[in-house]
Amino acid sequence: MTGTPLLALDLFVNGLIIGLFYALMAVGLTMIFGILKIVNFAHGEFYMIGAYTYTLISLGLGVSPWLALPVAAASGALLGWATERWLMRPLYTGYGSWGLMKDEYAVVVTFGLSLLLINLVDKVVGPYPVRGPALSDVTRVALGPFMLSGQKLITAGVAIVLLIGLALFIKRSLWGRQVQAVAQNRLGASIAGIDTARATSIIFMASGVLAALAGALLAPIINPAPDVGIFPAVKSYVIVVIGGMGSIPGSIVAALALGVLESFGAVYLSYDYRDTFGLVLLILVLLFRPQGLFGERAREV
Amino acid sequence: MTTPRHPNFLASKLAQEMRLALVVLAVLALVPVAVSSPYWLGVLIVSMYFAMLSMGWNLLAGYTGQFSLAPAAFAMLGGYTTALLAWHWKVPLWIGLPMALVVPGLIGLVLGRIVLRLSGPYVALTTLSFAEIVRLVIYNSIDFTRGDQGLNVPALIDSRVGNYYLFVGALTVITVGVFLLLRAPTGRFLLAIRDDEIGAASRGIDVVRAKTVAFFISCAICGIAGGLYGTFAQLVSPELGLIAQTGIVIAMVVIGGMGTLVGPLIGAVLVYVASELLRDAGNVQMIVFALLVIVFARFFREGLWGLARQAIARRRSATRTAASGV
Repeated sequence: MTGTPLLALDLFVNGLIIGLFYALMAVGLTMIFGILKIVNFAHGEFYMIGAYTYTLISLGLGVSPWLALPVAAASGALLGWATERWLMRPLYTGYGSWGLMKDEYAVVVTFGLSLLLINLVDKVVGPYPVRGPALSDVTRVALGPFMLSGQKLITAGVAIVLLIGLALFIKRSLWGRQVQAVAQNRLGASIAGIDTARATSIIFMASGVLAALAGALLAPIINPAPDVGIFPAVKSYVIVVIGGMGSIPGSIVAALALGVLESFGAVYLSYDYRDTFGLVLLILVLLFRPQGLFGERAREV
Repeated sequence: MTTPRHPNFLASKLAQEMRLALVVLAVLALVPVAVSSPYWLGVLIVSMYFAMLSMGWNLLAGYTGQFSLAPAAFAMLGGYTTALLAWHWKVPLWIGLPMALVVPGLIGLVLGRIVLRLSGPYVALTTLSFAEIVRLVIYNSIDFTRGDQGLNVPALIDSRVGNYYLFVGALTVITVGVFLLLRAPTGRFLLAIRDDEIGAASRGIDVVRAKTVAFFISCAICGIAGGLYGTFAQLVSPELGLIAQTGIVIAMVVIGGMGTLVGPLIGAVLVYVASELLRDAGNVQMIVFALLVIVFARFFREGLWGLARQAIARRRSATRTAASGV
């Protein structure tokens, strides 16, 4: 033991790493909210499918987990694409007449999709948890004064790369800018000649990839089971509201903050109730700053 | 869908649904005459428990447009209120059961006030987080709630048929209560808020008050349903509040017909009885219902009751044209 300051730093770093995973989940959710103004209640199941694809591919085919990672990402993209194409598209192809029923439809249909995926996996793969293969066998890596497991370090690295890549894609690429335009104003963007359906599709696929990769990277730790997605999903709902719905930087900051808060709270407050801290924070934010930390207003045409 | 609704049309629609709801309840009340199997009576009792939750959820989601995802959590709170009072303080059921109505109602009131200023998805997100976290607290507070072991609850009525009629009675009271509420001005206000919140506010409707009332009543209904279920099963456990339970409630309402009085009743009984039948056919019931939810939400917005009503209307207009045709 080298004293409390180092323990605090250690907790901080570990909290940040957990926060990175929360961010992978929450960013996808907030992007979908940004572009369609709906919440995807099947988001946790994207994560679950990613974890299962990764585990089953690498264990079933005996290939390196590194090869299974892109397959998991592809499964997330496919799921995102299918969700958008068959379930979400009626929301905006009938732009006017669906306006009133939008929230209702989106909640029911994504919730139904979540139930469907959980029970389908339960029936096809089985209800018992499967142990995911690790990307690295190294259990302890010294990073300066910190001791981290190899798996944690790799996954944190991949998560950072993904988040930076996403930020560049949204800010710099043509498609990313189209997505921003559609998020700000769908009607205005379509008048300017942007294919809004394609932009929505891209966002669902990106969101599916991020969630599926989060699941795959965490597979050795969480041991995929059909209902494994519920909890990370609830966490990301809390984060997205705290960060301001639709704001990507907001959700990243909120995710990291929640990770650190839980990491400290589990040691200094209560380990059993560590998952409840997010809700306390959520209620405080809702009471005092309902638009979230980084809430944005939509633009008018 | 978009036809303007005249108040009288609304009242007659509600009365029609109420008549049908009474028929469903009467049929339920007559079942023990023909069926004596305790197993099937038990299945129907649980389906009536779900029918109460569906009524409560439908009042909020179908009639007020507030998407709570916590009906199962409030049932769990109701069940635990009765159970904890009886377990720790030996409170008799005639006090404990009404408390299952009051305590979840008050918690719902507080939660309702917090999510009140939010709209659309925020309500669903906050109530879902609330539901998961309440379940977690109950699960982890092992000293107080015995965690996932659950708590034993004393039985109110010992006989199966007695319990059956207790549930029929409670469901009838809840159905009539919801009908009276919807017929009263408050009910009209709720519909107006669902259809156009800003418009409703601009016509002088106290949106805050109406929504809070709906939240309170809905949570109280779910709470008493949970309390009654606890005395029937003589056990409450954190599993009552699983998200999957909320999923079943939503499936029932969407399949039966959302925003209608009789839809939740039909949906709850049909879905639960069908799931018991499908259990023998390889445990695929939840897959089937999840698919049905998606298909109904996508293509048949008014559920089974809406389909039935359309069929009746078509039949009527066909006979009318046949009668008036030369």
